[in-house]
Amino acid sequence: MWHLIIRNTVARRGRLALTLLAVLLGVTFVTGSLVLTDTSQRLLDDQFRTAAAGVDLTVRDAVAFDSAMGVEVERDPLPAEVVDRVRAVPGVAAATPVVRGQGLIGVGGKTIVPAGPSLLLSWEPAPVGPFTLRAGRAPVAEGEVVIDAATARRHRIGLGAEVTVRAERTERLRVVGLAGFGPGEGLPETTVALVTLPAAQRLLALGGNSSEVAVVAADGTDVRRLRSAVSAALGSGYEVSSSRDVAAASAAAAKTQISSLQVMLLALAAAALLVGAFLIANTFSIVVTQRTRELAVLRAAGATGGQVTRSVLGEALLVGLAASAAGTGLGVACAAGLRDLAGVFGMTLPDGGLVVTSRTFVAAFVVGVGVTVLSAFGPARRAAAVAPVEAMRRSSADHLSGRAGWGRTVAGAVLTALGAAGLSIVLAGPGSVVVLGEAAVSTVVGLALLGPAVTPGLVRLLGRPLGVAGVPGRLARESAARSPRRTSATALALAFGLALVSFTTVLGTSIKESTARSYTETITADYVVESARNEMLGGLPVHVYHHVSELPQVAVASRLRYGHWKDGQSVEALTAVDPVTLPRVTSLHMVAGRLDAVAGGGVVLAANVAKERNLKVGDTLAMTFSRTGVQRLPVVGLLRDRDAQALSTGYVISLDTYERNYREDVDASVFVKVAGGVSGADAKKAIERALADAPTAQVRDQAAAVAGRNATIDQVLGLVSVLLMLTVLIALMGITNTLALSIIERTRELGLLRAVGMTGAQMRRMIRGEAALVAALAIVAGVGLGVAFAAGTVTALGRTTETTLTVPVGPLLLVVAVAALAGLLAGLLPARRAARLDVLTAIATS
Amino acid sequence: MTITSVRTDVAALARDVVKIYGRGETAVRALDGATLSIPAGRFTAVMGPSGSGKSTLMHAMAGLDTVDEGQVLIGDTDLGRLSERQRTLLRRDHVGFVFQSFNLVPTLTAAENIVLPLTLAGRRADQAWIDEIVAMLGLGDRLRHRPAEMSGGQQQRVAVARALAARPRIVFADEPTGNLDSRAGEALLGFLRHAAHELGQTIVMVTHDANAAAYADQVAHFADGRVAGVTRNEEK
Repeated sequence: MWHLIIRNTVARRGRLALTLLAVLLGVTFVTGSLVLTDTSQRLLDDQFRTAAAGVDLTVRDAVAFDSAMGVEVERDPLPAEVVDRVRAVPGVAAATPVVRGQGLIGVGGKTIVPAGPSLLLSWEPAPVGPFTLRAGRAPVAEGEVVIDAATARRHRIGLGAEVTVRAERTERLRVVGLAGFGPGEGLPETTVALVTLPAAQRLLALGGNSSEVAVVAADGTDVRRLRSAVSAALGSGYEVSSSRDVAAASAAAAKTQISSLQVMLLALAAAALLVGAFLIANTFSIVVTQRTRELAVLRAAGATGGQVTRSVLGEALLVGLAASAAGTGLGVACAAGLRDLAGVFGMTLPDGGLVVTSRTFVAAFVVGVGVTVLSAFGPARRAAAVAPVEAMRRSSADHLSGRAGWGRTVAGAVLTALGAAGLSIVLAGPGSVVVLGEAAVSTVVGLALLGPAVTPGLVRLLGRPLGVAGVPGRLARESAARSPRRTSATALALAFGLALVSFTTVLGTSIKESTARSYTETITADYVVESARNEMLGGLPVHVYHHVSELPQVAVASRLRYGHWKDGQSVEALTAVDPVTLPRVTSLHMVAGRLDAVAGGGVVLAANVAKERNLKVGDTLAMTFSRTGVQRLPVVGLLRDRDAQALSTGYVISLDTYERNYREDVDASVFVKVAGGVSGADAKKAIERALADAPTAQVRDQAAAVAGRNATIDQVLGLVSVLLMLTVLIALMGITNTLALSIIERTRELGLLRAVGMTGAQMRRMIRGEAALVAALAIVAGVGLGVAFAAGTVTALGRTTETTLTVPVGPLLLVVAVAALAGLLAGLLPARRAARLDVLTAIATS
Repeated sequence: MTITSVRTDVAALARDVVKIYGRGETAVRALDGATLSIPAGRFTAVMGPSGSGKSTLMHAMAGLDTVDEGQVLIGDTDLGRLSERQRTLLRRDHVGFVFQSFNLVPTLTAAENIVLPLTLAGRRADQAWIDEIVAMLGLGDRLRHRPAEMSGGQQQRVAVARALAARPRIVFADEPTGNLDSRAGEALLGFLRHAAHELGQTIVMVTHDANAAAYADQVAHFADGRVAGVTRNEEK
């Protein structure tokens, strides 16, 4: 049996080649995503483990939670006496105060701004410090610094060079050594400055305090017991953790971005595989149809139906195995390319040796083989239904077109109707995003079932213009309408890809436009100063605000801060404002209460948040802050949703309240109103001059500020669109494949047409017309679905945030044009093959 | 009006045609100096055992294939001088075909199949002429049907109608009755002879069936890649 299967598969390799390629691309995508994210996660794990390798316990100020949204919280510094108290605990071999903070390195008058953090640390030799000297010596005196070798190489900083380190204070330091981290020359996208403990304390204005205390246990001491002992000695104000747990927690925080990237990549890979599944099912279905005679001969010779089914599934298994093997290899090779692609769209991932786990191999093969075999299951069952007597009949491709069954059509109609109903409910008002997701699944499955029944009519309708092209055009239309199952499967695969592309385009544009609208309507400031680095909390040093507000060209400056807090397990964000100056740079509309009441320690909620939480002015909201734990804040006002959105969060507190509950000391935005009689350009110049010592700060007008806010959406949108193109590409391969196979099937007919005088050019036009028609069907269905469900999503989102639908006509037309052009391209190869058919062989084929 | 007078001019001519398939030791001389003259307005049958080269000669004379040596003419046109595209256009405009089976495009109706060569050429059909052929072949009530809805005999009659529709110089029929039962086959042969005699259409039919050949005006006997002899049938 296997002998026959292998012989069959090899003999039909031409017909199965594109199927194999489709599975291969899907598996490549899955493998690439897994390898990339595994690698990034392993690198982060290694990084944090190296950082904690020589330390047993870490003592820090106690907080309610370690990190939120991938950002580690800042903790209060530890007073010097804590170190002495730790040292006094029996079993402690060494307790070392460590200082860590942010410090930008500058060289030759230019500040180095990496995409990641700019670390400033107190130097400790191993085992406490994770850095090892690569050249020179450790810093021992004031005015000395060691920097990471990677930064030194990239910016050509040699031993003995002078650099500036800019933290709370700025100092000029001499480079006395270059350090590496673990096996590497530094940390990815990071600059590191290592100075003596006193220098670090002075640069970060910590006085005699430290960020944490690193504890090394004496030989033979049980670390867990030591941890309890130190904890008991210090009391509840301090947190004593195993350094390995700290490393794991830090790594987990850093990995949150990668996990969401992984989810996104795997979702896109699933979409590509789903489209591939359509293509596989179609190919096997066509191949089985074409082999009816052969299968019947097999049955007549005594093969059971089960054996016939297994022979087809066996072929699928072989294709799946070959594609998975090739796809896994290619995926590993592509992982680095995927990382670069993510980098192009602003997602920086650590660079290092690729990690290929056995899980990746298993996933790739399960997915590749599974999708192929499952997709071939239907055709394989049909193959078993071929009666032996078919062997005696003259076969003609005519009766094998596969009309839709009644049950299938009815089920499809019901599911499509349910999907449409779900979408209407959401559009009309009450439905949620969950309803929308169910409606989407129902519609897609429904259309897949309904496809064969409605395709002939749709094809003839859409194909009307083809009639202008004379007989070839009409023939193209008729042959597309003749095999409804085949045409609808091919078109749906492409439609699915196009639906995803249009969905993301419309949704992304709507969100961006809504953000822009609420921002421009609410923020009346002339300029906004923000960090170019796009950090979660903004990352603008405090002195920026002070410098800007003191300028005579500035009438008023008002600053904004962001913070995270927890509500049970869920992480929320809040905005801290100056209630006195904010109204002068914004146009806020209170639904209830007063904004200036936040000065008394209360919170203002966005109207929809209040509704969702069932709160009104006068109630209290329990908020858990990392530094101060649970605080009960009185609700003092409700803000219009659009204005809350312009301030980025649904919770607004005063800067004073913020200062009491947070250690973080960076601003997100400084809004500036230019003084009367000063031109905008002059004011901007003055502000820029004042920002000379804040290299990451940028002065933005409203358009630039909106663009900055939408940058993340642009990045995600860009990456998703590029990766969705892969899905569209696979779907186009489906068109090529289906046409190529149907040409083999229609050899006689094509030969006849050539014999009675159809020219090669007319034949090419006919096949290309068919491809274009399938593409057109896909465009109508895909773009329609994409826009409809994007509208539904925007409506559902619009109930909690200010989002209105914007249909970007230009980009959508571009999608349509690209898909139509690609449809024509997909027809090129089959068209050429059809035109090259030898007339004599064609009419002689039985 | 139909031409009833006896014409003696030549519609197509093959002279010393050689066609070799394959190379070296496996080379087969399918045609080995075949010479055949097709008189205009007559029904000519080409008979011979399978493998004798009769179909190869028909393909060469119909412009479906090229020859290695010798000359093939349709009217005054030397097919050897034509390009692939020119031969396609010649077939479309001046040659009609009836094959053994699979003569019709399944997605087109009978009426559309009949005028297919004309529509491919972008020419208008001569409706009176089409009506006449359709009436003669008794297809009037079948015009809106698709091939799958017709019997084998009806399908072959539609093929004959298509072959005649463009008023070609010559119609080639390759075993046109091969798949038909004897009644339908006899009827079709009758139509072909009628088309030659009453409409003046030149027809060449390839067959291995002596009964079918008996309907023709003259029979060319084929053996070993050449014409062994031509016999004239008496008017029935």
